[in-house]
Parts: sequence; C-alpha cells; structure tokens
Amino acid sequence: MAKQPTPILSARGVRKTYVFGAIPVEVLRGADLDVSQGEWVAVLGSSGSGKSTLLHLMGGLDKPDRDGGTIRFQGTEVATTHGARLDLYRNREIGFVFQFYHLLPELNVLENAMLPAMVGHWFAQFSGRAVAARASASALLESFGLGHRLHHRPAQLSGGERQRVAIARALANSPRVLLADEPTGNLDVKTGEGILDLLSERHARGLTVVMVTHDPAVAARADRIVKLTDGRVEDEPPTASKPLKDNE
Amino acid sequence: MYAALLSNRYLTSRLIPFIAIAAVALCVALVVTVVSVMTGFLNMLKDSGRQIVGDVIVSSGIGGMPYADEFVADLRGLTTVQGASALIDTIGLLRMPYPRGDQKEITHVQVWAVDAASLATVTDYANDLYWKPPANAAAAAALAADDPRRHLDASILEDGKSLVESRTGTPGIALGMHVSVGNARQRDGSYLPRFGWFMPDCDVTLTVVPVSGQGKIAEPREQIFPVVNEVQTGVYEVDKNRVYIPLKEGQRLLRLDEAPLFDLNAEPDSQGRYPVIGVTPARVTKLLVRAKSGISANALRDQVELAYQAFSKRIESDPSRSARMPEFVNVLTWEQQLRDLITPVEKEREMMRVLFSLIYLVCAGLILSIFWAIVIEKTRDIGILRSVGASRAGVLWIFLRYGFIIGTVGSALGVLMAWGVIRNINAIHEAIGSDAPRAIWIGTFVAAGFCALALVRTIWRGRLLAILLWLLGTSVLTLIATALALHHGTLIWDPSVYYFTIVPDQVDWTTAWSTALGGVLFSVIGAAIPAAKAADIDPVEALRYG
Ligand SMILES: Nc1ncnc2c1ncn2[C@@H]1O[C@H](COP(=O)(O)OP(=O)(O)OP(=O)(O)O)[C@@H](O)[C@H]1O
Ligand SMILES: [Mg+2]
Repeated sequence: MAKQPTPILSARGVRKTYVFGAIPVEVLRGADLDVSQGEWVAVLGSSGSGKSTLLHLMGGLDKPDRDGGTIRFQGTEVATTHGARLDLYRNREIGFVFQFYHLLPELNVLENAMLPAMVGHWFAQFSGRAVAARASASALLESFGLGHRLHHRPAQLSGGERQRVAIARALANSPRVLLADEPTGNLDVKTGEGILDLLSERHARGLTVVMVTHDPAVAARADRIVKLTDGRVEDEPPTASKPLKDNE
Repeated sequence: MYAALLSNRYLTSRLIPFIAIAAVALCVALVVTVVSVMTGFLNMLKDSGRQIVGDVIVSSGIGGMPYADEFVADLRGLTTVQGASALIDTIGLLRMPYPRGDQKEITHVQVWAVDAASLATVTDYANDLYWKPPANAAAAAALAADDPRRHLDASILEDGKSLVESRTGTPGIALGMHVSVGNARQRDGSYLPRFGWFMPDCDVTLTVVPVSGQGKIAEPREQIFPVVNEVQTGVYEVDKNRVYIPLKEGQRLLRLDEAPLFDLNAEPDSQGRYPVIGVTPARVTKLLVRAKSGISANALRDQVELAYQAFSKRIESDPSRSARMPEFVNVLTWEQQLRDLITPVEKEREMMRVLFSLIYLVCAGLILSIFWAIVIEKTRDIGILRSVGASRAGVLWIFLRYGFIIGTVGSALGVLMAWGVIRNINAIHEAIGSDAPRAIWIGTFVAAGFCALALVRTIWRGRLLAILLWLLGTSVLTLIATALALHHGTLIWDPSVYYFTIVPDQVDWTTAWSTALGGVLFSVIGAAIPAAKAADIDPVEALRYG
C-alpha cells in the first residue's frame, strides 16, 4: 500500500478571478491540491486553463480572490500572509522556476544563482555568509554543467542553460518545495529531458516538486498527475506511458 | 548588499544612466549660470550705485543750502559716518573740441561741481579716473601696444583727483568716459582715441544757466575748461552724461558763491550801488554721505535727517547768520535716489525669476521622466527580486541609491560646468563677439568631410543606424562650420544697452547649492516613485511587464 505522507502544501477551494476590461474571468473556481512531502506532482492543463495562476498563488507571488479559499504551507496560511513573513516564505520555503527563466540581465550567472541568498540575508550581514553562499552556488552550477559559464551574462546563454541557472537560483536557499512553471516549455525535447533529469535527481534527494505543464510526456516524469479543467483540479488516471504496475 | 550590487550594475552596464547624469548636469548648470549672472548683475548695480552716490543723499531745491561746510563737519562728527561731501548738481551744455572746423558738436551734460578731495571719501571717484599710467611693469606689459596709458605721466591722475590742470594752474573738468565720442571701446574693455581725439589734450566749453532762488533764470554763463581726466564708474547712464568741475567754479558760474549782501531799502550811492550790510554764504544743492561699513543706508538716513533738523535749528537761533536753511530738504538713501536705475533691473530680475522657476520645473520634470522611464523598464527585474523574497524596502533602496548617485554626480558636474562657464563668461562672451578663427571653421568643414566619407562607406554596407548617425554628424558639423564661417562677432553685452561694461563672473553659491540639492532630490524622487509603485504590486503583475 502507498505511504500516506503529510501534505506540505495544500490549496483548498482556491478561486481567482481576473477582471479583463468589464468582464470578470473566473480562472480558478475552487481548485483543491494537496502536495505531500517529497512528492513530485505534475499539473496538466490546456493553455489558459489557469495552471500558472495556481502555481503563482501557491508560491505566494499572487493573491486569490477575497474569501477565495486557503493555501497552507505546513499548516500555515500563505494567502493572507504579507510583509516580511511573505518575503521570508518566498525566499526560504519556496523555489520558483518560471517558464521564461526571468534572470536579471545585469547580473552574471553566479550572481543570479546567489540572488536569493543575498536577498535573504539583507539584515544579517551577508558578507559573513558570502563565501559559503558563493561556494554552494558555484558548486550547484558546476553540478548543472555550468562551471565554465559562471561569469557570463544570461544573454550569452542558450535557453537550456538559462533554465538551469534559474533552477540553481530556485534551489539556492535549499527550499522545501520547488514550483516549476513549464520548465521545459521553451526547450527542445532533448534539452527538456536534461532539465527533467535535474529535477528528478533533486527529487530523489527529497525535494518536493510541483510542476506545471501541458505536455503529457513531460507530466509522465512525475509521481502523480493532476489535471486542471474548468478551474478545478481533477486526478488524472495514470497514462499508458506510465504503466499501472509502476504506480501501484 | 544586493541593493548595492544591483544599483552599481544598473549604473555601469547601461548607457541610460550617463544620459540621465548629463541631463541633470545640464539642468543644474543652466539654472546656476543664469541665476548667478542675473544676481551678479543686480549686485553690481547696487554696489556701483553706492560707489556713485554714497549711502545717503541730501538734496535741496535749486536755491541751494548755505553753510554746507559746517553741516558737513557736523556729519563727519557722527560715529556712523565715513565721509561726507557737498556738491552742486545741475545741467549744462558742453561744446566739444570736435569735429574740426567751426561747427563744433554740443552735448548736454549733468554737471557735478564737487570738492574732489571729499568726494573721494564718499564715492569711488578717485579710483574711477580712467587715465593713469600703469602701476607697474607687469601692468604696463599687459596693455596693448597702442594704448595711450603706456605714455601717461603720473600728473594726469593727480590733476583728475584735484580737478586742476597742474601745468597751468587752471581749474579743469573731468568727463564721464562716454561723454566724448573720442573714446572707442576696445574688446578688452580698454579705450583708444577715435580719430585722434584724446580728450585730456583738449579744452571744452561748459555753459550753465544760473537760476535764482525764486526760479528766475539769469544770463547763461560759460567757461573754458581743460579736460584733466575722464571718469569710468562702469554705469553707462552715468558715464554717458556726467562731467565734474571744481565746486568753486560751479558756485561762481551758477551765482551760488559767496556774495556781498546789499541793503535794497537804502538809498543807492552815486554809482547806483546799494550799501553792503553783510555777505550771503556760498551754497550747494546736494550732500552725499557715506556710512561706515556695517551701517545700513536706512539707519544712516534717519540720523542724517535728525542731524539736519538740529543743524537747521542752530542756524535759525543764531542772529549773526544772514541766511536761513531751506525748510525742506530731501534725505534719501541711494536706493531711493537711484530708483529709476534700479527699478527696471529689479523688474527684469523678477521676470527672470518667473521664467527660471518655469525652467526649473521643466528641468525637474525632465529628470523625473527620465527616471520614470528607467525604472519602468526595470519593473520586470523588480518582479523577479520580489519573487525571490526581496522586501519592498530593499527594492526601493536599490533605486533610491541609484537616483542618489546619478543626482549627486550630475549635480556636481553641473555646478562644476556652471563654475567654469561663469568664471570665463567674459572670455566666452568675447569669443562669441569675435569672428570665428579661420582655422576652426575650416577644421570643422574638414571634419564634416570625413563624416561624409564615413557616411558613403556605411551606405555601401547598408547599416541603418550607422547611416543615420553619420548623416546626423555630417549635417550638424556642416551647419556648425557654415554658421562659424558666416558668423560676424556681435557683442551681446553691449555696454550702451546694459549698464555695465563687463558681465558678472561670480558664482552665486547659495543658488548653486540649492540647485544641486534640487537636482539630487528630483533624481531620488523620480527614481523612488515608480520604484515604490513597482514594489507595491504583486510580483506576478510586475513580471508581466517583460
Ligand atoms: N493579469 C491578468 N489579467 C487578466 N487576465 C489574466 C491575467 N493573468 C492571467 N489571465 C488570464 O487567466 C487565464 C489563465 O492564465 P494562466 O497564465 O494561468 O494560464 P496557463 O494555464 O498558465 O496557460 P499557458 O499554458 O498558456 O501558460 C488566461 O485566460 C489568461 O488570459
Ligand atoms: Mg502558464
């Protein structure tokens, strides 16, 4: 029988409405998603179904509607948190990987990867930890095969390299959960595979991963697949690419 | 830490901060330069106003004030008074020695009959005498080869100070620098005799009209005076009109001198003369008083007024006096006296103030919008920073630091630029006033030619931006070269239009510091507002700006 891990991140009845001009568009209409500690969940859905929206809400980058459900991290409400606590949540507990990398163009690869470490120690004299942060960031980048690129600007990198920097950045403060929004969306299949291998390796070491994708082949790498349709999350029956016996 | 890193990177890895620095610097330089020159101009006017008339002027009607010597002595006794001098101020006609032939030019002048020695204690009269030999060898070497001052004798200055031609002992006249057309102003501010009319070598005839105390006009009187020197106060209105003669001569010519007092009620003697029963004292029409330094003109004015009342009472109660003091005299400060001169300049400055507060606003707006554009462009970065946990304050701090550095560097450069321009403003004015040196405009044409060659090359290679830039370079250089070639010097600061012969060249440091502070402030505000706005929205919103 499958183990019953405690949920580390849980979204309940989440609603999100965008007002586009005069017309309100209800993107999420009571979405529920429980993510257990150490689990790799893939959220599948067609374009515009609200996958990114859900992920942003869980990462504390956006707010649900008023009375639009709860988002809990280890039992603590995230949706109503603000100020320094929210900053701390984004900085320490969550690593976010965007579809479009979102690296700072003026910083080099190493500095981009160290950014969360620098930001997080704004008050606690960063300089004392600078050496350690630098060492761990470059070790991470090296393990991602970017050792020779540390002092290049993002503009000089390929898409796959940029996404690896973005993942290194997301992992900089050793977060409990990695939220990845179509991490392979802009990459060719082979490069995408490389990125998924990276995630898979991290996951094997205990990292909780929530990954959004519209590609079932990509979703197949996860432990569990859910589907977002009509603003709600449904469990997806295991697909052919992931035979039943593996999922037992 | 990351704030410093990021704001430094934003400063150094892009072109736009340098454009912002240049904009701040130019705005600051513009405001500081113009306000400094205007303020300097007004200060110069006020300074020279005092140099010309002292601090307080006592004037009587045309009948004049008697016993001026005694009143001057009284005034000198006041602890607040530096000096006092009596004079007669009237109008006259001056027959000039030119042109050659019988028909001489006649010009109307303001005549000041003065006691030259005491006048020098109240005004800058002695220093304003223009013709004097150079003080030392270095000063002599600095003079142009054909400057008449090279060959002057020291006696010309002494004659000017005493208003007596020492060679003959004749009372002399000193003319304002621009009374005679013989003085041709050179670009360096020196004067050369025009058509050989060196006034101190000439005689002039002065005609004045005596007017009795009752306002009756008597027969005009004239006298030939040798010109002993010429006076340059620097205020064109004065230098164009005024001449100085000795007080005694003025009193005699205007019948204001000491005269026997006849008893008109008695029987005249066989020759028709009435018996003499005393003397009427000599009179003057104006007293100039100079305050000791630190005493305000207004304070001195009140004291002089009181002193006059006391003096007037004393004369009144003295039966041995044959004349009475005029009941009413005007006691004015120099500012009140020179109202006509100062008011237009003050009005002008007020207008300038209004115009410049507009320019100031435009500059502030420019700085604000530049920063706005810079920061809006960085909204996505702000979203990224916020999404990895940067606080609002941390994000704001990046841009405050950024604006502060640009504002400080820009303002410092601006003040430096303004300082450079203001200190050299007369040389710059001089250069604008002269024809452009041939080498410069030919050189500019050559540079334009090279640009044109580069343009042809880039057209060949078909690079649009390069073509545009070279085209711009070629046309701008050609325009500049043409303008330089066609430019014939015109002095903007024509001394016959403005009061002064030089442009003020002192930086007004109050304005400089406050403008620089404004530059920093607007840079910081300009950066802070959009940064705060971007830091306030949810990271996802900010990221959508990508
Ligand atoms: N700020 C916004 N204002 C208005 N509408 C928005 C906003 N953000 C998202 N939407 C709309 O919400 C819907 C869901 O957007 P979302 O980005 O979550 O979709 P998605 O599932 O991630 O799609 P994709 O696969 O294309 O990334 C879309 O229709 C989108 O147009
Ligand atoms: Mg999406």
